[in-house]
Amino acid sequence: MKKLLALVLALCMMAGVVSALAEGFTPAESYDVGERKFDGGAITTAKAEAGGGEVDTERYAGVEGKDYTDEKEYTFHDYITATTTMDWNPHTWETNDDSSVLDMMTMGFYGIVLNKDKSGYAITCEMAAELPVDVTAEYAGKFGVAEGETAKAWRIALNQDATWENGEKITADDYIYSMQQQLNPKMKNRRADSYYAGDMIIYNAKNYLYAGETAYSLIEDDAANLVAAGTDVYLDMSFWGLVGAADAEGNAAPQYVSIADETMYRDAGVEEGQPEDWVSAKYIFDTYLAAGMPYESYAAQYLYTASIAPETSWDDVGLVKVDDYTIDLILEKAMEEPAFYMPYNLSSNWLVYKPMYEELKVFTDADGKEVATEEEATTVTSKYMKDVDSSFSYGPYKITYFELDKQISYERNPEWYGYRDGKHTGMYQTDKVSVTVLGEHATQILTFEAGKLDGVSLQQEDMAKYASSDYIVYEPQSYTTKISFNTNYEKLLEHGTGSQILVIDEFREAFALCLDREHFATAYTSAGTAGFGLLNYQYVYDPFTGAAYRDSEGAKEAMVDLYGLSYGEGSDYATLDEAYAAMTGYDMELARKKMAEAYDKAVAAGIWDGETPLTIDFRVYQNDTIYVQMFTYLNEQLQAACEGTGFEGKVSLTMTVDADYYNTMYSGAADSIFTTWGGAAMAPFTMMNQCYTDAADGTGNQMEYGFDTDKIELTITVDGNAVTDSLRNWTNWVGGSTDAALVANLEGVLGKFSTYDYSTRCAFLAACEKCFLSYYTTTPVYYRNVASLHSQRIEYPTYQYVMNVGFGGLAYYTYTMDDAEWDAFIANNELKY
Amino acid sequence: MTKYVVKRILLMFLTLFVIMTICFILIKLLPLPLIKSINKDVALQAKKYEQRGYYKPIMVQYYNFWKNVLTSWDWGMGEQLYTDRAVWPVMMQKLPYTVLVNLYSILIAIPLGLIFGIYAALKKNKWQDNVISTLVMVFTSVPSYVYAFLVQYFLCFKLKWFNPVVLSQDQAPLMSWKMFMSMVPAVLSLGFGVVAGLTRYTRAELSEVLTGDYMLLARTKGLTKRQAISRHAMRNAMVVILPMIIGEFIGILGGSLIIEKIFAIPGIGNVFVDSIAVKDYNFFMAETFFYTFIGLASGILTDISYGFIDPRIRMGSKK
Repeated sequence: MKKLLALVLALCMMAGVVSALAEGFTPAESYDVGERKFDGGAITTAKAEAGGGEVDTERYAGVEGKDYTDEKEYTFHDYITATTTMDWNPHTWETNDDSSVLDMMTMGFYGIVLNKDKSGYAITCEMAAELPVDVTAEYAGKFGVAEGETAKAWRIALNQDATWENGEKITADDYIYSMQQQLNPKMKNRRADSYYAGDMIIYNAKNYLYAGETAYSLIEDDAANLVAAGTDVYLDMSFWGLVGAADAEGNAAPQYVSIADETMYRDAGVEEGQPEDWVSAKYIFDTYLAAGMPYESYAAQYLYTASIAPETSWDDVGLVKVDDYTIDLILEKAMEEPAFYMPYNLSSNWLVYKPMYEELKVFTDADGKEVATEEEATTVTSKYMKDVDSSFSYGPYKITYFELDKQISYERNPEWYGYRDGKHTGMYQTDKVSVTVLGEHATQILTFEAGKLDGVSLQQEDMAKYASSDYIVYEPQSYTTKISFNTNYEKLLEHGTGSQILVIDEFREAFALCLDREHFATAYTSAGTAGFGLLNYQYVYDPFTGAAYRDSEGAKEAMVDLYGLSYGEGSDYATLDEAYAAMTGYDMELARKKMAEAYDKAVAAGIWDGETPLTIDFRVYQNDTIYVQMFTYLNEQLQAACEGTGFEGKVSLTMTVDADYYNTMYSGAADSIFTTWGGAAMAPFTMMNQCYTDAADGTGNQMEYGFDTDKIELTITVDGNAVTDSLRNWTNWVGGSTDAALVANLEGVLGKFSTYDYSTRCAFLAACEKCFLSYYTTTPVYYRNVASLHSQRIEYPTYQYVMNVGFGGLAYYTYTMDDAEWDAFIANNELKY
Repeated sequence: MTKYVVKRILLMFLTLFVIMTICFILIKLLPLPLIKSINKDVALQAKKYEQRGYYKPIMVQYYNFWKNVLTSWDWGMGEQLYTDRAVWPVMMQKLPYTVLVNLYSILIAIPLGLIFGIYAALKKNKWQDNVISTLVMVFTSVPSYVYAFLVQYFLCFKLKWFNPVVLSQDQAPLMSWKMFMSMVPAVLSLGFGVVAGLTRYTRAELSEVLTGDYMLLARTKGLTKRQAISRHAMRNAMVVILPMIIGEFIGILGGSLIIEKIFAIPGIGNVFVDSIAVKDYNFFMAETFFYTFIGLASGILTDISYGFIDPRIRMGSKK
C-alpha cells in the first residue's frame, strides 16, 4: 500500500513538473527588427580648395632668462603607477608610460609644440632640417608610383647637428639600418605596424616583414560569406587541441587546416571507438563553429584567412638613402593634407644605435633554444632599451638610473643638438627628472602634499578637497564612455535571463533617456563632462586651425536633433547654439513613454510574456566603490523609467565583474558593458568605420554586438539628390577606406570624400553619427577628462589646455624655486593645495 | 628519521611535478590575448606567438619548457609582463625587498608577540591580560592596510618621521640604516598583525599548559615558578607556537600585495596575480614553481621541527 502511495505521489509530482514546464513561457525563436531606413537629412556640399592649408611653424620661444645654462639645479619629480609592462625600445614600445620614456631620450623628425602666442600648436623641425618635400615625380614608374601622382614620395633633409649621446653623428645610414630592424622578419617587432597599418604606409613595408610567409589573419567577415566568395577559411586546430595530432598515416596535424579539409585526425582525448575519436577540420567547423552551431561565438577567435606575402628585398621597400643627410620616404597611399599629416606622422622616430642593438640581440631556434647567429635563428629579440646599460639617447635627456617597479631617473644629455643650436633657448630648464613608481593613489596624494612630487592626477573622491585649488588643471581626453548593448536576439536568448528585451529599440531608447549625464559625470568622475556624441570635443577636423568636430555646425545639429530639441521661429530655442547648450539628453517622462511602447512591442512579438522577471547583466572591469556607485545609479534610473509601465518591478540590472569584458562582448556573451573608444583625435573621420561599423559579430573593433550596420539604409540628400547606401558603406566612404567593395557606390556618386571642404565633411560624419546613435545600441554617458594638481614651484607656460600639446610639456615648464630652496621650503612649511 | 626525510623530499618533488604539469596544461589551454586596437595588425602579434612556439602542441611546449628549465634554468622571457626580460632574474631582482621588509617585520614581531603572550598568560584574567587581549582583538580584526594608511599618514606625513615610501637603491643601499628607516612604516604595518596573532596563540597555549598537573609536580619537586615555566611550560607551549613562527618565516617570501603597493615597495607581491590576469605563461609557471616549492618545503620543515621541540614525537617511525 505504501509503495503504491509513493508511486502515485511520484507520478503526481512528475505530472506537476511537466505541466509547469508546459505552462512556462517560451520566447519566440527569432526577432525581426524590420527594415531600417534612416533619413540623414540634407547636405549642401562645397569642395575643398586645392593644396590644403598651411601649418603654423612659429613656436613659443619660452621664458627669457630661464634657459638650460642656469647654474642652479632643477629636478622634476614625477610618478607612474607601474613598470610591469614597460618597454621603451622604439621598435616594441606600447604604452603611454613607454612613450614618456622615449620622449626624454629620442626626438621625432618634427615636433608639435606651443605656437607663438600659446593659443594652439605649431610644427617645428627637430631631427629633420626642414619640412618634407614632395618628390613623387622623381619616382614615377618605381615603388608603385604612377605618372602624375603626388604626395606619395617625400624627401626629408636630416638635421646635421644630431648626434648620439657619445657624440657620433646620426646619418641616413642610421635611419636605414633602424628601419631594417624595425621591419626585421625574424623580430616581428610590435611597432612594425606603425609603418603599414596606419595612415602612413611605407611602400612594401608589410611585404618585407612577412616576405614569403603565409600570414593567417582572423576572419573579418562571416565564414559562410567568405567561403561563398571563394576565400579559403582555416581552422586553428588548437581550438580542439589537435595541433600535432596524427592522421591515419601518422602525419601530424598543422596548426591551420582548411575548413573544407576532411582529413581525419585522432583525438587522443577521446577513447578509441567512442564518438569523435577521429575528427576533421571540416567536421569541427560544421558541427561546432558554423552559424547556428553551439560554439559559433568562437568562430571569430579560431577561424582564419590566409595570404602569402611576396618575397621582398630591402631595395623594394620605400625608404631610400639619397645622401648622408637625406632620405626619401615612399608611401603606398598618397598622404592627404600632407602639410600637416606628414610632419604629424613623423613626430616620433624609429632610430636605434646599431652597435648596441646588434650586441643586445638574442637568437633562438624554433624550440626556444639560444643559437649563435641570426641566420640560424627563427626568432630574434633585442634587449635594447631595457635598462640604463642598454639605453642610448639622442634626445634632451639620458637615463641614469632604472630600478624595476621603483624608479627611473634622467639627466641632461649634453650631446643633444638642442642645447647648442640656439633654437631651444628659453626651454628645458629642468636638469634632472626622477620618476617614482607609486601604484596606490592615496600614496600619490600624500607624496605630492609632502612636496616630493611635482604633479598628481586626481580621482573623483579628491574633488571635494581640491576642486577649488589654485593649482588644479583639467586635461580633456579623446575618450567617450558609453554603455553598449548586445542586440543579437539569439545570443541574448542563450543567456536565459530575459535580456532579449534589449532587441527592442524603444527599450534601449528609454534607457538612454533616463540617464542624467550631467549628474553622472559630476558624481562619479573627477573631471568628466556629460557625453552626448560618439566623438568628443578633442576631435580636430581641421588640422591647420585645430577646429573641433564637436563644435562644427553639422555636429551640433545632429546632436540637437537626436536629443529632440529644436530651434528657430516657434521653437524653444532661438539659435542652434542655445539649443545645443540646453541639451541634457535626460527626459524621464519620455523614457517612461518609450518603456510602455517597448512593453507592448515585446509582448506582441512574443519575445516576453510580460510577467517573467527580466535581468540585464552589466559587465564591469572591477567592483571598486565608483563602479558600484555608477551601477547603482544606472539600476535606479532604469527602475525609475519602468515605473507606471508593464516593466515595473520586473526589470533589474545586475553587475558582473569581468576583467575581460570586451572580449566577452565580442563573443556575444555579455548583455551590456561600458565601452570607450578614443585616441585618434586628429582623425575624426576614420573613427566610425574603424570602431563602430566594422563588424557586428565581434570580429572587429565594434562593440555593439549584433548591430549590423550593413542592414541600415541611410539616405542623405546631397545637393538636392537623395543618395542611399548602408550606414557601414557611408562610414567607410567618410573614413577614406580603400576597400573598393565598400566605397565604390558612394565614390561613384559623390567622388572622394577628401575632395569636400571641412564643413561638408563634418556634416557627412555627423549624419553617420546621428544615424548610428538613433538606434541606441550605444548610449554616450560622459566625455573623459583628467583633473590634476601641479606643484607650487612649477609654472606651466599656459593653463589653458592646448590640443596636441597639453600645457606645454616638460620642455616649457619653469620653476619658482630650485631644488635646494624647495627642500628648505617644504621642511619648514605645510603645503596647502 | 633520515629515511622519512628522504621519502618526504622525494614525494615533494613528485607533488611539485604534478602541480607544475597541471598548471602548465591549464594555462596553455587558455587562448592567448590578441589585443584589438585602431591601426594595429593583430596578425603581427599572433605571428610573434607562433615564432615563440606558443601554437605548437601542448606536449611539445611542455617538453621544451622542462628542457630549458632543467638544462639552463631558463624560464623564458616575459610576454605580457616585463616584456622581453628574462623571467627568473626579474623575480630574483624583486625578491630581496619583499624578504627584507617581511624579515624585519617578524624579527620585531616575534619577541614582542611572545613577551605579550607570556605576560598575558601569567596575568590571566587580570587587567593587564584584559588590556592585551582587547588590543589583540583590535589588531587581529583590522586588516593590515588600514594600519598602513594610518601609519603613513601620521608617522610619515604629519610627523615627518619617515619617508612616505620605501627608498630606491639609488637613494640608499638595500642593506643600509637609511633603507631600513624608510622601511619602518611598512614593517610596522605588517608587524601589528603578527604580534597580535602570536600573542593570542602564546597566551592560549601557555594558559592551558600552566594548569597542567605536571606543572604542579614541577613546583612541588622544588623548581621556582620561573624555572617551571621556562623549562616545562614554554617547551610544551612551543609545540604549537613554533610551527606558526616557521610559517611566518616562510611567508616572508610571499610578500603583501597591498602593503607593497602602499609603500611603493618593488617586491614580488603582485607578480603572481598579475601574471594570471594578463596570461603571462612564463611568469606564471616560474611563480607557480617558486611558491609551490616553498609551500611544500615548509610543510616538511614544519613536520620535522616537531621532533626537535618534543622528543616524544617520532614521525615516520613504525614502532
